[in-house]
Amino acid sequence: MRERPLVLLALLCLAGTLSAQTKKVTFAGETPGHEPKSFAPMVGSWVISKDGPRNVLFIDGRVWKRGQPAGGLADKARALYGARNEEFIESVKAFAYFPIAVYKGLDDFENGDVSVRFQMVGGALDRCAGILFNVKPNGDYLTVRYNGTEDNVVLWTFNKGVRKFVKRAPDLAALELGTWHTLKISVHGTALTGYLDDKLMLEYTLPEPVSGMIGVWSKTDSMIEFDDFTVTPTAK
Amino acid sequence: MRFTRQLSVLAALAVLPALAAAQRAKGAKSVSCAVRATDAWVKRQAEWFDDSKHDWTNDTLRTALLQAAGIAAPLQAPVQFGVQVAGREPALGPTADKMVAELEKLAAARGSTWPTKSVVGAAGTHAVYLLAQRDTGFARAVLHRMMEAGPAESPAVDVATFEDHLRLVWGRKQIYGTQFHVGDNGKIVLAPMEDSAHADLRREDAALPPFKVGLCLANSGK
Repeated sequence: MRERPLVLLALLCLAGTLSAQTKKVTFAGETPGHEPKSFAPMVGSWVISKDGPRNVLFIDGRVWKRGQPAGGLADKARALYGARNEEFIESVKAFAYFPIAVYKGLDDFENGDVSVRFQMVGGALDRCAGILFNVKPNGDYLTVRYNGTEDNVVLWTFNKGVRKFVKRAPDLAALELGTWHTLKISVHGTALTGYLDDKLMLEYTLPEPVSGMIGVWSKTDSMIEFDDFTVTPTAK
Repeated sequence: MRFTRQLSVLAALAVLPALAAAQRAKGAKSVSCAVRATDAWVKRQAEWFDDSKHDWTNDTLRTALLQAAGIAAPLQAPVQFGVQVAGREPALGPTADKMVAELEKLAAARGSTWPTKSVVGAAGTHAVYLLAQRDTGFARAVLHRMMEAGPAESPAVDVATFEDHLRLVWGRKQIYGTQFHVGDNGKIVLAPMEDSAHADLRREDAALPPFKVGLCLANSGK
């Protein structure tokens, strides 16, 4: 009987530790019309925008140009990866179809949850909102993304300049433009799960554990608003 | 130069009836239906549909496409007002069915060269868009090809109008606001639409007129 309070206490401590580790990024303190301070845009035009009274992070596909990385890429890559920035830049240029912005607040995400709220606004070719993870200094990365022109959730890998399809969620989900939704990934060792609006969409066993930076991802001319980027790292 | 002259003439012709219609249109007092060659969306369409460089590779296919679609090049901007009224589809040429069958074969063949701008010119791609509406089953494949080809090879204005059209066919709501039908009282009615709040962002990207102007043009009988 005496063990029960101890267990409860231990659980409370654990919950306190976990919640203390959770990082939630909103854009309330940022300046509309400027690049975000909490993310480093590498490809595409990422700006703080207004959605009603709220500040959001907006990938503006209207200014997308084929093969063009974001402005100041070299400086941003240097800030993130120091001497290894050239390799990163070369790789990012190969992926210039895919706007990415790397979260500055966590150097290495290995286990836990990453989620982001998103709202599709437009895009003639694509309407993609994704979570970027396992971003390596050489520019390789993984992404789980929702595409509003295909109504699906898919895991992609980007390795040495080549994009490869890995797994498509079996269920389609037709989301309306102008409505907010939540995309989430959970990583536990090599086990990856993807959720859309809390519905389990995707399960996959990665060939190796995740270790790298995280962020947000999009594609070509997508116009997407992002908000509430949340990361909860957990111990291995 | 010739294209610029055509634009000027067209704009002059377009302004008068459009203005008159604007005066008639209820609820559109502050919105003018006037279409000017200097409007950003008209200029973007004019640039995209400019075939004066004659830099396409398959002239035979282009000629056949134009004939089948019942259109003549060069196209005059604005090629699209972004107003499509159900039951008022433009007439196609006598070879339309034959050409649609050929396009269907092409779409089904993996790795085939799809008639994009570099293959059949801007007017040729517009002809493909017009023909694809003949068969809604085939239309999905065409829209996919057009989107896949990207904005340099497919006309954004046609892609947008086409997507709206197909979304309604599939039982979804349109997203650009280009689809209308004639209501019981004979008035033009906008088909169901989602996220009209961001419509102008999407319409700007697709070289369509601003939403209010589009509604005005629809009411004016464009």
